[in-house]
Amino acid sequence: MSRSAVELDFFRMEKESAGKPQQPKKLFDRRRSFRDIQSVISKMNPEILKSVIATGSVENGNLLASKPKDDDPFLSPALPLLSAPAFGNRVSGTTSLTIFYNGTISVFDVSLNKAENILKLAAENVSKTVDSDLPLTRGKSLERFLQKRKER
Amino acid sequence: MEDGKANKTIGGMPDTVFELVIDFLHDERDRDAVSLVCRRWYEIDKTTRKHVTIALCYTTTPQSLWRRFQHLESLKLKGKPRAAMFNLIPEDWGGYVSPWVEEIARSFSCLNALHFRRMIVTDLDLELLAQSRGQVLQILKLDKCSGFSTDGLLHIGRSCKKLKTLFLEESSIIEKGGEWLHELALNNNVLETLNFYMTYLAKVRFQDLELIARNCRSLVSMKISECELLDLVGFFGTASVLEEFGGGSIGEQPERYSSESYCSLSFPPKLCSLGLTYMGRNEMPIVFPFASLLRRLDLLYAFLDMEDHCLLIHRCPNLEVLETRNVIGDRGLEVLAQCCKRLRRLRIERGEDEEGMEDEEGLVSHRGLIALAQGCLELEYIAVYVTDITNASLQYIGTYLKNLCDFRLVLLDRQETIADLPLDNGVRVLLQGCYKLKRFAFYLRQGALTDVGLSYVGQYSLNVRWMLLGSVGESDAGLLALSKGCPRLQKLEMRACCFSERALAIAALQLPSLRYLWVQGYRASETASDLLAMARPFWNIELIPARRVVSPNANGQDVIVDHPAHILAYYSLAGQRTDFPNTVLPLDAVALLNT
Repeated sequence: MSRSAVELDFFRMEKESAGKPQQPKKLFDRRRSFRDIQSVISKMNPEILKSVIATGSVENGNLLASKPKDDDPFLSPALPLLSAPAFGNRVSGTTSLTIFYNGTISVFDVSLNKAENILKLAAENVSKTVDSDLPLTRGKSLERFLQKRKER
Repeated sequence: MEDGKANKTIGGMPDTVFELVIDFLHDERDRDAVSLVCRRWYEIDKTTRKHVTIALCYTTTPQSLWRRFQHLESLKLKGKPRAAMFNLIPEDWGGYVSPWVEEIARSFSCLNALHFRRMIVTDLDLELLAQSRGQVLQILKLDKCSGFSTDGLLHIGRSCKKLKTLFLEESSIIEKGGEWLHELALNNNVLETLNFYMTYLAKVRFQDLELIARNCRSLVSMKISECELLDLVGFFGTASVLEEFGGGSIGEQPERYSSESYCSLSFPPKLCSLGLTYMGRNEMPIVFPFASLLRRLDLLYAFLDMEDHCLLIHRCPNLEVLETRNVIGDRGLEVLAQCCKRLRRLRIERGEDEEGMEDEEGLVSHRGLIALAQGCLELEYIAVYVTDITNASLQYIGTYLKNLCDFRLVLLDRQETIADLPLDNGVRVLLQGCYKLKRFAFYLRQGALTDVGLSYVGQYSLNVRWMLLGSVGESDAGLLALSKGCPRLQKLEMRACCFSERALAIAALQLPSLRYLWVQGYRASETASDLLAMARPFWNIELIPARRVVSPNANGQDVIVDHPAHILAYYSLAGQRTDFPNTVLPLDAVALLNT
């Protein structure tokens, strides 16, 4: 994994600040950014993410920008911090998910399920999920034989 | 020399010479090469080719087959993906024999041998076959098929009087009665091989088996469903040239059970291949008198522990083929390595995982493999489920087993820590050493084979035509490295890997010989659109989207099981098939739905 700070401009902040006329900010193409964010998260070191999420405290429903346990100077700027508030807008089953990233703050309204999935995804290794979904299977005859043996 | 074609020559030699020579070529790849030399040789191969195997029935049509090979005598067709053998494929996926049987009934007048594997066969198909080809059919194999009943077999039994081989092993047959066997017994006296092993047909009468033995004096192989062994005394007494017996059942009826009664069983004198279902330690001695003659032994469905295996194998110095469960243990493999120097094929299946059900020592690891590699130098086929593994054991295999053509290893998830991972170097030495390897399966776990390891697999599997990879690699880079090699890989199956659709598509395009791809467990995109990168003419892409299936669990209770999506892609000259069930989608439809 690269040690240099990675800057990911999901929301086209640079483009806007480069002097283009201010278009009515459609905030983001939700689906596309979501997927981008997902793919970024999946490439990050899960251990780091875990420690960040663990050390973060939930206050006013938002994770404060707390320092990760590691004092590694390279890690802080590149890390987005995630929070899913315990008390949030329960309007139409969605709560707000706040992402602190590289000096920018973004808020999404997602359902509790989706928020939990994102946090889970960040904390887990992607391939592990695939493994546990696909248990080893046995041939039909052998399965039947082992069943029958239990009955005998 | 006068004959009708004497005026046709190639390079001064009459056609007749080539026609006689070509008769000696049986290997399909040789035949294929011959047919590409020139038009005349193509024609000669066309009229003289006796056997064709169609690895996937949807790659061509019955009519295409007829147009090219009108004198075909033997045909083998395969339908459902291999994963169907593990209950992963929907029952109605496809692979219907009907269009083929219709064409066979209409046109293929020379056809006398048919083998359908993992296909859907109906009673109507069997009736049509019996009516149209009954007088000439010599071999009929319905191998892991489904969709028919014993009524269909009645037609076969009545009409196929020249049938030498009837093979039904592991087919799902709806049982309506046992008359089919009786009809077969009455109408046939040339039967050599009868196999309805693992079909669970319960209404067969042992009297009909005896009748077959009496009428068919050439009967050499009989493998049956669960019929009490004690009832077969008459059968064994009559089948005097029998060489192979499998199935039956020991102790099915507890009131008749006593180990003495089994000891009085006497087997035919030439018996050299045996598998007795539910055979336990008490009955094992009945095999001892002829154990030294045994060349094939099937202990998959026996009740033996590790010690029993050691005792039995010790007495079988001529063993060439052994199938059993991992209860054989490392010690059993050590005995095998010491005593069975002629062993060619070894299959070790996964026994019960639950504690207390199997012998606790009955586990296979690198220890057993190392002994095996050094002791059984003639091994050609190994399929094994291991609980522990090292690079060294794979290196031993690569160093000693130069005749290995088929190697399949599954690492069970029983043990949490495997000390010697990753297996990159081991697999490299194995592939380099076993240069004859044509079939290779490596089913591991996360971290057991890195991307570098996958690149070795690509680099050193020069002759491998079929590969099954499970839980291998770390990223797309691994798959892409693999796909730069594997020059002869025709069929690739992958499960529980972390590769993206994009990587799968690129790999499919890069692998030079690939004609069939099956994947379950991959990083799916929302619309499967990344897969379209491999879209091209003659390449069919099918998806079995993720399903939730209700099926009984180990305790017989109905539970909902998640089945992740599958990708199936293959070359076809027949275009997209038209018999999709609602569980399977051709990729074009999927793409349409999501735009």
